[in-house]
Parts: sequence; structure tokens; C-alpha cells
Amino acid sequence: MSYAISGECCSDASCVAVCPMNSIHPSPGEPGFGTGVSLFIDPRTCIDCGACADICPVDAAQPADQAATEDVERNAEYFAGQEPLEATDLDSWEPPSYQVWGGGPRRVLVVGAGPAGMYATRELLLRTTAEVTLVDRLDQVGGLVRYGVAPDHPSTKQIVQVFERILHHRRVRWMPGTDARELPGVAAGGSSGARRGPVDGFDAVIHAVGARRSRRLGIPGEDAACTAEDFVAWYNGRPGAVAPAELAGPRAVIVGNGNVALDVARILLSDERRLRGMDAPLDVKRRLAASGIKEVVLLGRRGPQDAAYTESALQELRSAVGDRVQLRHHARPTAWTSEGLTLDSGESIAAGNLFTAVGFEGRPIDGLPFDPDRGIVPNVRGAVVDRPGHYVAGWIKRGARGGIGVNKACAQETVLTLVSSSRVPASPGS
Amino acid sequence: MDDTAQRLLGSATRLSRDPETEIDWHAPIGDGFGMSPEWSTLYGTPYWDELTEAQQRELTRHESASVATTGIWFELILQQLVLRDVYDKPPRSAEFQWALTEIADECRHSIMFARATERMVEPSYRPRLLTRELGRMFKTVATGESAYAAILVAEEVLDVMQRDWMRDRRVEPLVRQVNHIHVVEESRHMVFAREETRERLAGAGRGRRWVSALVIAIAADTIVSSMVGREVYANVGLDADRAVREARRNEHHRSLLRTSCANLMDFLGSVGLLTPAASRVYRRTGLL
Repeated sequence: MSYAISGECCSDASCVAVCPMNSIHPSPGEPGFGTGVSLFIDPRTCIDCGACADICPVDAAQPADQAATEDVERNAEYFAGQEPLEATDLDSWEPPSYQVWGGGPRRVLVVGAGPAGMYATRELLLRTTAEVTLVDRLDQVGGLVRYGVAPDHPSTKQIVQVFERILHHRRVRWMPGTDARELPGVAAGGSSGARRGPVDGFDAVIHAVGARRSRRLGIPGEDAACTAEDFVAWYNGRPGAVAPAELAGPRAVIVGNGNVALDVARILLSDERRLRGMDAPLDVKRRLAASGIKEVVLLGRRGPQDAAYTESALQELRSAVGDRVQLRHHARPTAWTSEGLTLDSGESIAAGNLFTAVGFEGRPIDGLPFDPDRGIVPNVRGAVVDRPGHYVAGWIKRGARGGIGVNKACAQETVLTLVSSSRVPASPGS
Repeated sequence: MDDTAQRLLGSATRLSRDPETEIDWHAPIGDGFGMSPEWSTLYGTPYWDELTEAQQRELTRHESASVATTGIWFELILQQLVLRDVYDKPPRSAEFQWALTEIADECRHSIMFARATERMVEPSYRPRLLTRELGRMFKTVATGESAYAAILVAEEVLDVMQRDWMRDRRVEPLVRQVNHIHVVEESRHMVFAREETRERLAGAGRGRRWVSALVIAIAADTIVSSMVGREVYANVGLDADRAVREARRNEHHRSLLRTSCANLMDFLGSVGLLTPAASRVYRRTGLL
């Protein structure tokens, strides 16, 4: 017997830290960590103690006899071809690494209460004695966990509870529904007479604003298509989300080969029973049920080896919707009309709706440099290039890749950079 | 509950450690650190920088022995708490059998810690009289979630340190091995303690939760603050007053403790045991 990790793994690696037998990989720092693939348990060395399941924030670790067979096999497969680690030989473990407390900032502004902002806040509370002001444009914490994860993945959303507890910490000042640009000092570019930090009143700012904007295909007619950004926000009931134009069956085309494209396909093809079990707004369920969409074509512009979806997400889609989803590779769309989608081969796929899910990119932040090619703010280990006191974490720092929990390691890196470079003035106003 | 206990029993069958035979108690002891130096209560203070490396090494060996002794003290309390709790449970249940397995583990651990400290340092340590008397009272009266969550807190605080020390090549091999044995078996104990805590708290009213939360926090404070006492510094030949003063203000140590105990605090928060009063105690202790 052993435990196995399912595809809902958030990769925040808290299980790695509690496993007494070093059975969970890839661990932070090992190749493969942070690429969006889940973590795996080596059944050969797992002693079935259950510590991983106890700590897992999304209930992805389960006893093998209760887990899906595919999950058990996927875990075993990951380690095939590797020698089992001898956990009692302690030199086979990574040595511990320590951060030395170095003074640290007194007041930090964190912009964005999504996973990156929340993990950054948590790190600041743990590693420093700073007071943290946390702002978000929305009224609730969670960001893409709340408004990006598909509503039929409730266990992934559980991590929001962890984030909500952070808000109650004595050193956190939570300002929901706030646009950071409207904070005093920020609007003025952060400089005034007695300038003490990058923004008045703060020693540092961590921008954790994500990368929510959908990338564009760049084909004629695209404006009439529905982007993943809009569609995902809509089915999750994000305040201010725009409903897609008429949903028209029987066929829809989705361009994109990532897990978001798979989410969209699964949601579009959900039958009444699946819809009933979802935590989505009533109007969303009603419109999805009435859409008449019976078939989805998933279009990959490159080959299956380049597909960004994970094996477990594909398995889930297959078992949920069967053969009503068709995967097409090496197909480049050239134009979209009400008739359907034209491909570079000249072929046309008749469809009522086109959805684009070809990745996300960040928006430029006022006053900070921006790399339009990668859609990120250029930075060195989280420190914004040429802007002392400004830091980034999450997708705006490293691009729109990696699952929710990967933000933990990402935020740790940023906060470490912040703490080691920040020097608090000797006395106020100096 | 029985399902968890059954699994834990199975796990214990898969891997239980016997310090008696697994550790070569006659192997010579080297001059390694007693713990990762970063875990020393003085690391990061001006006093630490004034010490020679030999003194730092010696200090960590004494601190490690003192921490292990606190572990023994609490394991004695724990064994009695568990024994009292299962006193009238059916012996054939997995929960009962697991509880006795845990007591057997703790019993072996206490002997192991005692022998290891004897090999590492000359003086023997014990928590202060007042602490011991408080423990005597606690083991006699604590029940339900207060007992199990206190067990969890004590074991987890010890566990997070030992996970670091066991992987640290600078630490004396005996300590590393002892720590790994403890970490493996403790992982099962903590799963059990969490499950019991959750179960006992289901349906508990606000008043009871408030009292339990405070009791557990005070237990945590007592344990953490008795890990390294002034006699440790005195025995290494340091100015005990100054060492105590600097250790108390050591932000590095506090942030290390806070970081290591984050999972524990998450758990306490998720079951409603981080009440404002309890949080105040944890902040003072440096766990929150």
C-alpha cells in the first residue's frame, strides 16, 4: 500500500516537506518542479503514514486503495527507470537551507490577493516583522483560484480557505475593492518630498497582479470569438465578467492545447448532471444546459508532443465527455466567420462558436518596465529591473505557467530577495 | 477513525525502527554540531559572533541535548494522556491497538533520546520544577482535544527542527540518525493526533473551543520556552544573563520557528483553535 497524488495536485510542495521518507518528487529545486505537472509519490518507498494527505491543501493525496487507478499508475510510472531512494541514508536527502533574518522591511504593500499575492503575504509574515497592506480590485481573496479554476474542481478551490486565514493576521491590513493606483502616493508615481520608499509610506511593493489577459491569435474575425479570459471569468461568476455571445450548437471549436482549453471543453460538454454539481452561477448553468453544444474540436497549432495540457487533465476530459471531443493537431486557423473556422489547409470546420485559449499574458504596470514579448515585468529573482523597492511575484514575474502552488516557491524567492536587499532606515525620516 | 488507525498500524508494520539494534551505541562520537547552528537560540545575535567555532559547536550540542530532554519530558506526559484516553476502549479496535503502538514508540524514543544525550554531553538536563509540576497537572486532567492538540503541538515543534537537523551534514551522525527515527514514527503520531483533534472538536461549542484553544496555546508556550534554559548557557561557560537576554530578542530564531510552525498554525486555524486569546499566546511564544 501507498499513497498517490491525483491530477488536482497544486504543487505547493507542503507534502514534500512532511514526507518522512523523501518519497515525493519532483521537489522544489529538482528538474520538473514548477512546470505545471503534478507531484508524485514513489510507491516503493512510501510507508503509508498519511502525512502528505493530512497536509495537502487540495485533497489530492489519497491512499492508493481509494485513488483512481490511473492516478496510482501515473505515480508509479513517474519513478519507473529510477533507483528507489534510500531514505535511511540521510545523505541522499537535500541538505536544509536557511534564510538568515536580516532586519527586513517595516511596511510592505502587496498588490493582488491571488495565489501569488497571498503566498507572498504569508512569507512576509513568517520571515519578517513587517506590517503588510494587501490590496485587490476585487472584494475577495483568491484571484484565479476563485475565478479561474473550473467550477467542477471544488477541491482545488479549497486552498482559498488557507488564504482567507492569512487575512486575519494581526500584521495584515486588507483593503478589498481597491485599485492600487488610487492609493495615496502610488498615483503620484511614489515620490514626494520626504521620500522614504518606492511608494510613500512603504519600504517595498510586491506586484502580484497576475497575467489574466488572453493572448490573441491574430486572425480575421477573431473579435467575434470568445477568449478564455472572458469565458472562464463568466462561468466562475467573476464580478464584472462579460457573458459570451450566443452559445450555439452543435459544434464548438477551441483553439489551444493547454489545461485551460481542456477546462473550457469539459465545461461546454457538461451534461445536466455534471452541471448540477457545479458551484457556478445559476444563469451560467442554465445557458450551458441550453447551448446545444454536443461536440468540441480542440485545435492544436503544433503537434501533440508540444501540447501544454497535462496527462491527468486529458484523462479527466476523456472520462467526462468520451468521444464528443476531437483533438486535432498541426492545424493553423486563418479566419473565423459565422460559417466556421478556416484552416491553413483550406479546410473549414463548421461551428457555432470559437473559443481561444492560447495562453495568457500580463498587462504593463504604471511606472514599471515591461517585456511585451514575454508579457512580464523584467526582474531578477523577483526584484524589478531598475526600480529599487519594487518586486514582482506570480505570473507577472515568470509568465503564465505553473499551477497554483508553484506560487509558493515563487513568492518565497521574491520575499527572500526583498528581505536580503531591503535595509530599513536607521530612524524614521532619515 | 478506525480506518486511519488501521492504516497507521499497517504503516508501522511496513516501517518501524528499533534504535536498540539500528544504532551503533558504541561508535565513537565526533565533534559535529548538536543541531544545525542556524537553530541555535543565539545564532544571529552579537553574542554568537563573539564565540569561537568550538564554543558554537559545544553550545549546539548542549542545546540539542536540552531539547531532547524536553522531548522525553513531554513524551512521558503524552504516554499517560493516551493511556488514560484509551483506558475503556475496546482492545480489539484498531484505535486502541494503534494507541498502544504509539505508546510503545514513545517509550523507545525516550530511551533513545536519553542514551543519545548521555553520549553527547556531560550534564543532564531537565525542565524546571514549575514546568514539571505544570506537566504533572496537565497529564492528570487534560482530555479530548486539549490532550491531542497539545500532543500535536509538542511533537510538531520538535519534528520541524529534527527534520532540518537530520539532513544537515554538519550535525553529529548520531543525532541525525536519532532524529530520523523520531521523524518517521512521529509522522504517524501527528496524523493520529490531528484526526483525534478534529473528531473531538466536531460539535464543540464556542466556550469549550475557547478554553481548549487557550489551554493548548499555554501548553505550547510552556514546551517551547523550556527547550533551552539558562543552565545550558552556564554549562558552556557563557554569561547566562546576557545569553538569555539576547536569545529572547533573537528575531532570526523567532522567524525560523514561525516559518517551521506555519503548517501547524494552519491546522489549528482550520479547526478553530486560533482564537484571539490563543493567538496572543502563540505570538508571544514566537510561533505566529
